[in-house]
Amino acid sequence: MPKLTIDGKEIEVEAGTNLIEAARRLGIEVPHYCYHPGLSIAGQCRLCMVDIEKAPRPTIACNTTAGDGMVVHTDTERVRDTRRSIMEFHLINHPLDCPVCDQAGECWLQIYYMKHGLYDPRMVDEKVHKPKAVPLGPHVMLDAERCILCSRCVRFCDEITGTGELGIFHRGDHSEIGLFPGRDLENNYSANVVDICPVGALTDRDFRFQVRVWYLDTTKSICTGCARGCNVDVHVNRRRPHHAEGRRVARLKPRFNAEVNAWWLCDIGRYHFDFVDAATRLTAPVRRNPGGPADVTWDEAVAGVADALRRYPPEQVAVLASPQMANEDLIALRRVLETRGIREVAFDVPPTALAKDDDFLLRADRTPNRRGATLIGLGGDAGGLMAAARSGRIKCLWVFHHDLLAAGWPAAEVSGALGRIETVIFTGTNANATSERAHWVLPAAAWVEREGTFTNFEGRVQRFRTALEPLGQALPEWELLGRVLVGLGGTAAGRRAEHWFRELTGAVDAFAGMSYQSLGDLGRLVAGATASGLPTPPGQRAPAHA
Amino acid sequence: MNGAPGSSNSPPAERAGLAGPATNVAFTPEQLAEVRRLQGLYPDKRGALLPVLHMAQDTFGWISLEVEEYVAGFFALSPAHVHEVVTFYTLYFQQPKGRHVVAVCHNLSCYLAGSRDILAHVQRRLGVEVGETTDDGRVTLQSVECLCACEAAPMAQVDDRYELNLTPEKVDRILEGLR
Amino acid sequence: MAEIVLMRNFGRQDSHTLAGYRATGGYGGWEKARTMEPAAITEEVKKSNLRGLGGAGFPTGTKWSFIPKNHAGPVYLVVNADEGEPGTFKDRYLLERDPHALIEGMLITARAIRCALGFVYIRGEYVQPWRLFSAAVKEAYDAGLLGHGFDIVVHRGAGAYICGEETGLLSSLEGKKGWPKIKPPFPAIKGAFGQPTIVNNVETLACVPPIITRGAEWFAALGTKTQGGTRMYSVSGRVPKPGVYEASVAITLRSLIHDLAGGVSGSGRLKAVVPGGGSAAILTADEIDIPMDVDGLKNAGSMIGSAGVIVMDESVSIPEALMVLARFYAHESCGQCTPCRESTGWIYKQVHRIVEGHGRKDDLDTILDVAKRGGGTTICAFYDGAIGPYISYIEKFRSEFEALCRS
Repeated sequence: MPKLTIDGKEIEVEAGTNLIEAARRLGIEVPHYCYHPGLSIAGQCRLCMVDIEKAPRPTIACNTTAGDGMVVHTDTERVRDTRRSIMEFHLINHPLDCPVCDQAGECWLQIYYMKHGLYDPRMVDEKVHKPKAVPLGPHVMLDAERCILCSRCVRFCDEITGTGELGIFHRGDHSEIGLFPGRDLENNYSANVVDICPVGALTDRDFRFQVRVWYLDTTKSICTGCARGCNVDVHVNRRRPHHAEGRRVARLKPRFNAEVNAWWLCDIGRYHFDFVDAATRLTAPVRRNPGGPADVTWDEAVAGVADALRRYPPEQVAVLASPQMANEDLIALRRVLETRGIREVAFDVPPTALAKDDDFLLRADRTPNRRGATLIGLGGDAGGLMAAARSGRIKCLWVFHHDLLAAGWPAAEVSGALGRIETVIFTGTNANATSERAHWVLPAAAWVEREGTFTNFEGRVQRFRTALEPLGQALPEWELLGRVLVGLGGTAAGRRAEHWFRELTGAVDAFAGMSYQSLGDLGRLVAGATASGLPTPPGQRAPAHA
Repeated sequence: MNGAPGSSNSPPAERAGLAGPATNVAFTPEQLAEVRRLQGLYPDKRGALLPVLHMAQDTFGWISLEVEEYVAGFFALSPAHVHEVVTFYTLYFQQPKGRHVVAVCHNLSCYLAGSRDILAHVQRRLGVEVGETTDDGRVTLQSVECLCACEAAPMAQVDDRYELNLTPEKVDRILEGLR
Repeated sequence: MAEIVLMRNFGRQDSHTLAGYRATGGYGGWEKARTMEPAAITEEVKKSNLRGLGGAGFPTGTKWSFIPKNHAGPVYLVVNADEGEPGTFKDRYLLERDPHALIEGMLITARAIRCALGFVYIRGEYVQPWRLFSAAVKEAYDAGLLGHGFDIVVHRGAGAYICGEETGLLSSLEGKKGWPKIKPPFPAIKGAFGQPTIVNNVETLACVPPIITRGAEWFAALGTKTQGGTRMYSVSGRVPKPGVYEASVAITLRSLIHDLAGGVSGSGRLKAVVPGGGSAAILTADEIDIPMDVDGLKNAGSMIGSAGVIVMDESVSIPEALMVLARFYAHESCGQCTPCRESTGWIYKQVHRIVEGHGRKDDLDTILDVAKRGGGTTICAFYDGAIGPYISYIEKFRSEFEALCRS
């Protein structure tokens, strides 16, 4: 393993490590644009120059492999002067769009100019003009003038998605990023180019003009779009509620996890959060009387639900749990069922159409915790359950999240079944046709409004954390289930999600020995599970386009 | 097949006239065989892209987006990457061009020999600006970088040949001969 | 009287034919080389002090020896016939009038580097040279010279000066934009299609057969201590007899202009000379007593490059001449890396503004500073070539520029 010295500090790295990564391990930042650890080396921006002893001129760090005995200096006067020059070159034709550019505050031209530029601009001639505000598909907006031609987006579409939609046309300072005329950015990972664009050339159409990034708070979480559980950061706007008309979740960004999603996030998962701030959110417990629905207190709702569960013999009660529920919610539900001896439980409500895996990260299973629900023992025969409901055997049905009238069962049959059930209880985040038929509606907090864990398709248990306060009176399911449990004479595991997780590790062998601390930020596999690893990006399976 | 790679271009076909966008973009079976032959000359068939684009331009008159997509299909390339190549090189025309192309060199030795006057003369005679085509579709005028015939400056490339030591009179004779 | 080696066949009407070439001993070098060990051929070329004649002036034999000895896959020879340096036209003459000299040079070189496939990349505008060269290749195939261990593929470019840069050429040969490749790896290790590749200029390879037939010592003795042989100088601009002239690399610039090209035309008074193609730093009238070899020009603060000599007399406006070249670099920058892409366009705008009479006091120092800051920071030497004129024209003729800049 080569041992080298950077800025006087010695470090040993794996063979093949480039100098940007070697320096990063020492906490030394080598500024760069075109380099990205998930993409091929381009060597185009020329910003990552460092001084290497015995080299006559500064050399780019991205394309230099750490050599044994190398002595590297990243902060000499010459390196700083070179960076200053390169910053100036980058800004010659760059439009002064900062006041209207979404990237402001997280723009690497701004950041590096303040760190490495700070020169007086001397370009007085007309800048080159290129197309601005060009939509590239449903999620991405291009401003070709702002583009610094680092080619990250082109390489992404070639090497990761293998779709090759983007190119750099013409030459010289008329070079321009673009799509083939008439075509679109058509892949399920299009918005990743927004993440990797260092400047405001590629911006998110959903996020456009919403809120300035310095008003955002960030929280580590997990995507709930499918069973892969890609790691994300949730960015919320709490401080400027009057921007974006009260929308709290501003955007999701991928969070690096080498085992799950690397740097990437699919478009379906990325935008799977508009239900959180939608007008259909359930914000208060509701009791549906003959005269109409009425808001009630949680105490009333909990008492009403506990009473319903006590009133009917267990074989007349059925529960449709959901693979959208967290592990903590599911173990709390299991305790409630055990306390009353309720056995009729399932979670596999059929969807209206079968989804498919895409060719990279997206799984056919569009729920985040099917594996968890299975391991925790809530699997059953959903079809049989509905048949029992239709036959009239079930008098009390508790539905979590599902809209049974928009599922894969004939709506008329479901409607008929619901009509024969005396007490329908609904717990979920948003109102739907089923909640409209429920006698008790218990509002659930959305996943970004609480913490917990999901178990992905491989059996990887991953934490998601609280990014926002729950809307209205919504509660995490583990909490409302805990109250119901107490109402049934049982004991809740505790007042925090972590207590229920601890309960889970004691109750289900697969989770034995885990703790929130041991899960860390990157998760752990349940006992007996094997990691399936990151799939090979489609762009690396066939011969590369470029 | 004698196995001789030889040249990587077939002789230019009859030039297409200044028509509208190519609506029937397809090579003949002989041309398709030529595409395959060209691709076989290179260790990676993509090496044949430039020759095939020359062939397409000679056949269809210019490289429309439809031609780019058609050519992309031979190489399993995204059309964007063919478009990159077409927009990068100056000899590929992305708009219909005249039956003849007059490219006057404007680089240093030609400039020293009076290329600006020659270009102005050509513009007056043809009645077009640089980059434009005469209304009758006869001539497209270009002003280009060094063609490496500096010993015979000022000069121009007219279609496939170099026309050297230009004077206004010589220019008139050349333009006269372009039908 | 200097020995004529490269242009020896030009006078014959049939010089471009196989019969004509053979009539004067052509392919005798190949016959001899076939009996030599590959390493011995390389040694001979090293001893001859042959240096690359396309622009960089790198010792040719040394370049050949960079090919890895035990490479399992193919090795390629790529001929750079993408002549594009302003003021240069010598390769055009060779392609048209002595194409077999190049073919023979390729055969010998291919044996030295153990290569079975060669590509000749001819700029797209050279249609006539391409036809003549392709015909010669066909003749060579028909005669069995090619196709028995060595094949040649002739490849037309499509109009981009940057394809004359070694790795830009390789990218273009691979069917991409002519974007130069980041180095390392260097072409001798990983070049065309990912394989070890030697890229040589047309004229450089045309020197190889005479070196083999007449010996390295003979070739070395024709030149200077550090560069052997003769070369073809392209002379144009304000001279009565523009054309291509062969001379020893030891010839002085003064002799080239006055003895071969007929002196200075126009006003008759020499003002400046571009000695090595557009990218070479300009020389003033009192800087022409230098040998026109690689080291001679380097010591004079310029470069011999492609040996394209452009003569300017007193009537020439240096700022306008710089504007013409600055436009060239702005047009031809491939755009891949930031310093070149942005500053070639910017500097052209500034020089144009100065020539139009709207120059400002600080413009000249800005251009000089930008040019110097960009030098050495780019993927390839295109920008280093561009700053040759940017810096030398302004520094050596500053007062002429200042006169155009209002205060």
